[in-house]
Amino acid sequence: MVDPVSAVDASASVPSNTLNLSGLVRRLFASETWVLALSVIYFLVLLPFAPDLGNLENLELIVHNMLPLCMVAVGQTLVLLTGGIDLSVTSIIALCSVGGAWSMTSWGMPGTAGFLVGGLVMVAIGALVGLFNGMAITRLTMPPFMVTLATMMFGSGLAVYLTRSQGIVGLPESLAAFTQEGVGPVPYALLLVAPVALVCHGFLTRTKAGRWLFAIGANAKAAQISGVPVKRVTIMAYVLCGVMAAFSALIYTGRLETGSPVLGQRVFLDVIGATVIGGTSLFGGRGSVLGTVYGVLFITLIDNSLNILGLSNFTILMVKGTVILFAALGDGLRRRRLGGGR
Amino acid sequence: MITRRQIVGAGLVLPLAACRPRSGGRLRVGVAFETLQTEYWVASFDIIRAELAKNDIDTIEAISDGDANRQLEQIKSFVARRMDGVIVAPKDAYTVIPMIKSVNRKDIPIVIYNRPPAENPYKRVTVGTDNFGITRNTVLYLCQLARKAMPSRAGKKHKALILMGDLGDINAVGRRDGFDAAVKENADIVEVVTRVPTEWNQEKALAGITNGLQAHPDISMVFTSSDFLLPSVVSALKNAGKFHPAGHPDHVLLGAFDGDSMAFRMLREKTLDADGVQDAYAQSRLVVQSILSMRAGEKVNPLVLDPGLVVHQENLSQESSRMWGAQLVLESERASRG
Repeated sequence: MVDPVSAVDASASVPSNTLNLSGLVRRLFASETWVLALSVIYFLVLLPFAPDLGNLENLELIVHNMLPLCMVAVGQTLVLLTGGIDLSVTSIIALCSVGGAWSMTSWGMPGTAGFLVGGLVMVAIGALVGLFNGMAITRLTMPPFMVTLATMMFGSGLAVYLTRSQGIVGLPESLAAFTQEGVGPVPYALLLVAPVALVCHGFLTRTKAGRWLFAIGANAKAAQISGVPVKRVTIMAYVLCGVMAAFSALIYTGRLETGSPVLGQRVFLDVIGATVIGGTSLFGGRGSVLGTVYGVLFITLIDNSLNILGLSNFTILMVKGTVILFAALGDGLRRRRLGGGR
Repeated sequence: MITRRQIVGAGLVLPLAACRPRSGGRLRVGVAFETLQTEYWVASFDIIRAELAKNDIDTIEAISDGDANRQLEQIKSFVARRMDGVIVAPKDAYTVIPMIKSVNRKDIPIVIYNRPPAENPYKRVTVGTDNFGITRNTVLYLCQLARKAMPSRAGKKHKALILMGDLGDINAVGRRDGFDAAVKENADIVEVVTRVPTEWNQEKALAGITNGLQAHPDISMVFTSSDFLLPSVVSALKNAGKFHPAGHPDHVLLGAFDGDSMAFRMLREKTLDADGVQDAYAQSRLVVQSILSMRAGEKVNPLVLDPGLVVHQENLSQESSRMWGAQLVLESERASRG
């Protein structure tokens, strides 16, 4: 196995005015930046065939489309780091959407107050579902896939049952303004997404609890023996994932101006795709918020560009599925070539 | 050495350098459908695209596969790409409103196809189907047939079953209401014994009608809110030994809605008594004409409802030219004959 450190040392002996391509490729591949580089290359290659891709309004649209996906993908990253998975994020989005919308329209609170209280209700719902997932996985030692699959099915059914398939409308104008408008090309929703993503990044890189997530994903038994409170940290990861899904629900609900019981049903492929493309390992122990953000950019760019090229939704799904498959293969390749863990 | 900072910088700067103004040429209309799940939607899409092409307009296609958020992103993409018009077949009456708002901001004409939006202050034209009226007329025809059969029933009322669509879909609500109105006018000979909420799902339809036929083996009238559920209806009737053509003493009066190819074949085989048909050809002409009129600044009626037609065995040969499913079958038969 090639040691990335010795590759860097070897590059240090090359004269400073020479481009060390193999060292650069190795460093790029080992870091999250390769996804950003891939996005830039993809954009440039496609631009001659889809000139609309480069117009300012379309670039704004890409940013807008990234925001809610970013939230739920960052939350999923936290769970994947522990070696788990949360399939229930789609139904958390639906439940939060209807719960939040109901509180915004039924409690008689005016405009912004209604929006804020509704937002808090959404966060509470997301946290509760996350707590249930975490408790079931740790206390009942059930596989994350089974627990979150069951929660997903129950939550989806509950959302439709509570609303009888009807959307909830009449939401506060301030919610629509917050999620749809902005200052020039900068959306207001970025004021939520950017700080939350930064806090998560700081949490992972600068706190003990954040490092514990990596440790659990790398080797849960070893982490436990080392004194990591594995169960509590795992529960925390699922609660945070639920909360991030709630933030995502807030943005999606505001954009559609409807509390919808079927909101976010098809977003899971994009969530997993973005996290895996961004370098988060499906086996746990490796990943980053920055990588996930780049992954969200890449997935959103693919969606946007293929739409502009006029490809059908089914073709876009096939392309995305293929990209995600290669990203997952790349994940395995990186583990073998560059070493597992962060 | 190329650094990480340089790559990030390129990523930020290059897109701006790539911005370019839109070039002239043929008009482009974005057509965003919520689904192509059934033959009706596929046929509608193709008919609209053909009508646009007849007017020298390019179609830019977007299918959201049932995802309202995805459809919103597709509409916003049309706006960003400065389409000359937008046609939307939305998932429901509410989630389409932000789409209309977004299109209105750039003064692009927008036509809502098939599902009218909920009340809103934004500028748009809706071309829809008179679901209530067509269904009422279809079921009234069935009731006429039911009345003719009364002498042989010794005064026993017909027992009816209705397969309803997704009640979050305004079309499904209209068809249910049309069915109820027609049955109410014929309450002396028809009673509704089973209502199946299918949510536009074949499996639910099959389970529901099967249960209904088990609970009421003497059901003698069935109405399905969409032709795409006919396979489930036929399967359930066959399993219950009740699938017979018209004229058979145990024939179950069967009505449907849409006008697809299966309905046409069943009408020819006399196993379907009446089909409420959405005139997709007329609707597509209205849609394209509305876009062109709005672009020309003309006053356009904000709501245009297609009155459709009821096709049954007595008028099948005259009306098949207006039945889009019939045209699919006839073209396919012509093609296979070479």
